[in-house]
Amino acid sequence: MAALSLPYQVGAAAVLAVVAVVACVHLGMVFLHVAPSNTLTRQHGRAVDEWIYPEFEQNWKLFAPNPLQQNIAVQVRAEIRTSDGASRTTGWYDLSAEDGRAIDGNPLPSHTQQNELRRAFDFYGSSHDAAGRPMGLRGALAEQYLRRIVVLRLGRDHAAGPGDVLARVQVRSLITSVPPPRWSGEKVSDKPAYRQLPWWTVPAGKAAGGVR
Amino acid sequence: MSTLAQSLSRGIGKVTESALAPYQSAVIRIGFSGTWLLFLLREFPHRQELYGPDAPWNWDLARQLTENNGAFTVLLWFRGRFWFEAVYVLALLASALLLLGWRTRTMSVLFMLGVLSLQNRSVFVGDGGDNVLHLMSVYLVFTRCGQVWSLDARRAARARALRARGQRLPDRAGPVLWSVLGLALAAVTAAGRLQGEWFVPALLWTVWLGQALWWAAGRRARWNQPRILFDVVGSVVHNGALLVIMAEACLIYATAGWYKIQGSRWQDGTAVYYPLHLDYFSPWPALGDLMSSSGTMVMLVTYGTVMAQVAFPFTLFNRRVKNVLLAVMMTEHAAIAVVLGLPFFSLAMITADAVFLPTPFLRRLGEGAARARARLRRHPESTALPEPRSAGDSEPARVGFPA
Repeated sequence: MAALSLPYQVGAAAVLAVVAVVACVHLGMVFLHVAPSNTLTRQHGRAVDEWIYPEFEQNWKLFAPNPLQQNIAVQVRAEIRTSDGASRTTGWYDLSAEDGRAIDGNPLPSHTQQNELRRAFDFYGSSHDAAGRPMGLRGALAEQYLRRIVVLRLGRDHAAGPGDVLARVQVRSLITSVPPPRWSGEKVSDKPAYRQLPWWTVPAGKAAGGVR
Repeated sequence: MSTLAQSLSRGIGKVTESALAPYQSAVIRIGFSGTWLLFLLREFPHRQELYGPDAPWNWDLARQLTENNGAFTVLLWFRGRFWFEAVYVLALLASALLLLGWRTRTMSVLFMLGVLSLQNRSVFVGDGGDNVLHLMSVYLVFTRCGQVWSLDARRAARARALRARGQRLPDRAGPVLWSVLGLALAAVTAAGRLQGEWFVPALLWTVWLGQALWWAAGRRARWNQPRILFDVVGSVVHNGALLVIMAEACLIYATAGWYKIQGSRWQDGTAVYYPLHLDYFSPWPALGDLMSSSGTMVMLVTYGTVMAQVAFPFTLFNRRVKNVLLAVMMTEHAAIAVVLGLPFFSLAMITADAVFLPTPFLRRLGEGAARARARLRRHPESTALPEPRSAGDSEPARVGFPA
């Protein structure tokens, strides 16, 4: 910088000041974004969101405040219209158990096995209210997404025979508590809890589920 | 007062005259691009299901969401299968070339485009590892991460040697790459396909124009003053981005740690037991059972994790404690990679940790790698590594900001 003439030195100083300010503001915004709701975020939450979204969104509550203590299995069954016009309902397919088997002994689990269904079901849960009504655009998108995943997976499991059509699908979750460690002396109910979603009609032509 | 002014001016001199931490920035360049490269290769058979136009999260669903949140993705510019395949392959290629440090700045931009495009296209298939890569791919664009351990450094050394003899190293690839990418950017902008918020398009245009100015200033002798100014700007931006990367790593640990303190399971010392028994995070159930067979062991790991995460940012003020904790964190992430089945998340976190590694250690690592390569090739004269342009990298590393 010393090798610069005065006007260029002023320019360099200005750049230094701008970079310093932007870096500090950015770090401040990220801090407020990851911090719990507080006085500043209540007053300036909109400014923080404007800065952070969409590209600097982040969530580092890794297994915090508490790790998940339940296994949430997503299961699906289908109503199938056979080629002779009859209709039958399949048994429940445990798609999470399929994921679990694919992950077992796998040093490099794929996002398709570890994240796709698990996070889609999370997304569905977080975009629907307690009564199961979709909340806004995200609710509608989540329902289509989950439906498309289960249709794809039913196709892979050959739920519908040749010539049959998937007419409707129904998803349920089976929640089982992880048994507490034996040294803790805690007692947790080992009875699974079910949550059943409504039947969804599979639009004509979508029964193949897209990707094979 | 005068000592304050002195140290201030020393500090300003330091951040303006050179791009600091050449080895650390090279390590994170290699680490993040390598992680993404391995991830893309691993998911290659599943690419259609994750990011393809007919994926469960299909093109229409993705478009509705991104129109709503303004996220940037080139995958929504066109719908066809060919476009998707091309983008996936280009993302692979950009990661590989960034890893090698070929045209590092341009590749860092293309690498960022690949990461943002795929991740923003299907946000709901990602996890913490994707999140780290997403942020770091943007930050890397602002760094001079090819000063060492790169093809660019090798070419710069050759150019310097030629210049000493009064010759020039001709550069054809640079202008061609710049023109092609500029044309593509102009075409996409003119066609109105650049979607998303202003930030990424503005960044693309800024880097493109900046490269033209840098190139022009390097060619004209009369442009000596602007050239020095651009060099200062490059260094200042690099140093600012490096500060942001380091602070981001601290924020990750601080957030993870401080939220855990509030959790009852982290307080009663059983927290680590639970993820080991989740079906989605237990690829080796027997290993999990073994690790959780002792309550004391689980308690020690549980408390140790929280303490290490909370303490990490503060240990940066003491070089020795920082290095010990760094080793602890890297070991823990290596264990997480295997035990919880999160290899790419762990690799990304280990890379983020690596920005704090001391320079002497990294230099030894580099020399060891060069020797190993030379032995393989039986070319003993090629053991010398390209040196960074900046002076002062032989100084002992400083805490947090190793020279």
